[in-house]
Amino acid sequence: MKRYGEHRFPGKLFVVEGIDGSGKSTQLMLLHQWLQAEGYGTVFSEWNSSPLVRDTTKRGKKKQMLTPATFSLIHATDFADRMEHNIIPLLKAGAVVLCDRYIYTAFARDVARGMDPQWVRELYSFAVKPTAAFYFRVPLEVAMRRLMDGRNGFKFYEAGLDLELSEDPVESFRMFQGRIIEEYEKIVPEFEVIAVDATLPIEEQQAQMRQLVKAKLAQAKRLRVAP
Amino acid sequence: MKESYNVLLPDMKLEGLTGKLIVIEGTDGVGRSTQINLLKPWLEQQGRAVLDTGITRSALAGKGIKQAKEGHTLGKITLSLFYATDFTDRLENQIVPALRAGFVVLTDRYIYSLMARAMVRAIDPGWIRNVYSFALKPDAIFYLRIGVDDLIPRVVFTRGFDYWESGMDLHPSEDMYESFRKYQTSLLAQFDVLAQEYGFEVIDASADIRTVFEQLQAGISRVLTGEAREPLFAVPGAKAAEEEGERVRVVDFPALKESSGSVPEDEEGQPAKLVSHAVAKATEGDDKT
Repeated sequence: MKRYGEHRFPGKLFVVEGIDGSGKSTQLMLLHQWLQAEGYGTVFSEWNSSPLVRDTTKRGKKKQMLTPATFSLIHATDFADRMEHNIIPLLKAGAVVLCDRYIYTAFARDVARGMDPQWVRELYSFAVKPTAAFYFRVPLEVAMRRLMDGRNGFKFYEAGLDLELSEDPVESFRMFQGRIIEEYEKIVPEFEVIAVDATLPIEEQQAQMRQLVKAKLAQAKRLRVAP
Repeated sequence: MKESYNVLLPDMKLEGLTGKLIVIEGTDGVGRSTQINLLKPWLEQQGRAVLDTGITRSALAGKGIKQAKEGHTLGKITLSLFYATDFTDRLENQIVPALRAGFVVLTDRYIYSLMARAMVRAIDPGWIRNVYSFALKPDAIFYLRIGVDDLIPRVVFTRGFDYWESGMDLHPSEDMYESFRKYQTSLLAQFDVLAQEYGFEVIDASADIRTVFEQLQAGISRVLTGEAREPLFAVPGAKAAEEEGERVRVVDFPALKESSGSVPEDEEGQPAKLVSHAVAKATEGDDKT
């Protein structure tokens, strides 16, 4: 069993992290477009976990059966399935793999739920170390404003309602995300995650990201694009 | 007071867990469930409430794991974590509440089988120990130990070879007999390592059902009455067990020696009498406390 930092694959792995409303998914989509146009074999890791694991996760959430521990473990199970059946084979094949959220999401979220920080880190030690990880740093109020425009309400676990921080879902979400930001700020230096100022204009953030990614793509495979 | 092996889960209060957590461990087909089916009514006759639980019986993940095992599609780490999810759901929603209510929890396997299975599949031993480091330390772990040569006829002549019990995911090109032998041999070796590390009380499971039952009764009675445990004995190596014979063969319960000495062989077919004998013993113990 190879541990974090011990895998050697020809492919490249880029991941984005941040709270909801940080704009990380938009940035990853733009990066994807650019990498494809540059001719890199780029795969958005689809998180097609096995239906068995996915069904269990869904059921646990729907019936609100999950505790912080089982929430953490079922997500780790799901992640392991993606790692073993999706990410590792793609990296072996030399692809550029893009992930919207990675192990750092679990570190932040599970610890915000009260799990032991070292336990969670060790739990995910089977994960491949990303070529680069980006954290989109945004003040909570900015993210909240972006989110409140686009949606009506939060899901139970998303808002951290299981923690009984507040009965009001919006207030609970705010408190829970605040805790998650605190955890992210510990993770950034610990795992050499690249922090991006997510209040900058979108194109400026993207330019930073492309520059950093380009520097890491030296030996990645390019596809011959059909004429 | 109960303790965990290392980390504590959020909201897990260890105060007031007055029940007893008793683990029956052992490999596939060694007779664990047979024994639990005898132990449960025996304990209930003494007025003890019993919860029996076991692997893949969680409301959350039990069904998913059973389906996954039919398909043989999950990776090794994924399957290990799926089991960990099942275990944790049972720990939090069955085992801990039952202990809080003062039950005797009889668990058919615990974290040790799950660790042994993971380790024979080349999972990092340190990693799997961390995964289960929040587990509660049991009040007693009885390990039904058997050699692979005694195990084979027991499994094969009753239920035949099973894909997972034969470790066919590890040796897909072998026939099931060869694979079973290899897999169970390495599994048993892992159990012996764990037995030392976690202080299992070893019971020779090649003995007949009633003898094993008596030993379990004696051991459990001791746990329930709060008597001190016998000094630790080494897990016998297979070779050593053959050479040294009696001395290292089984757990050396004084109570067991007594009863096995007093029960003549022709009582083989009358377990009821033995049960009442043991019940009387246990009741005696109760009176003392």
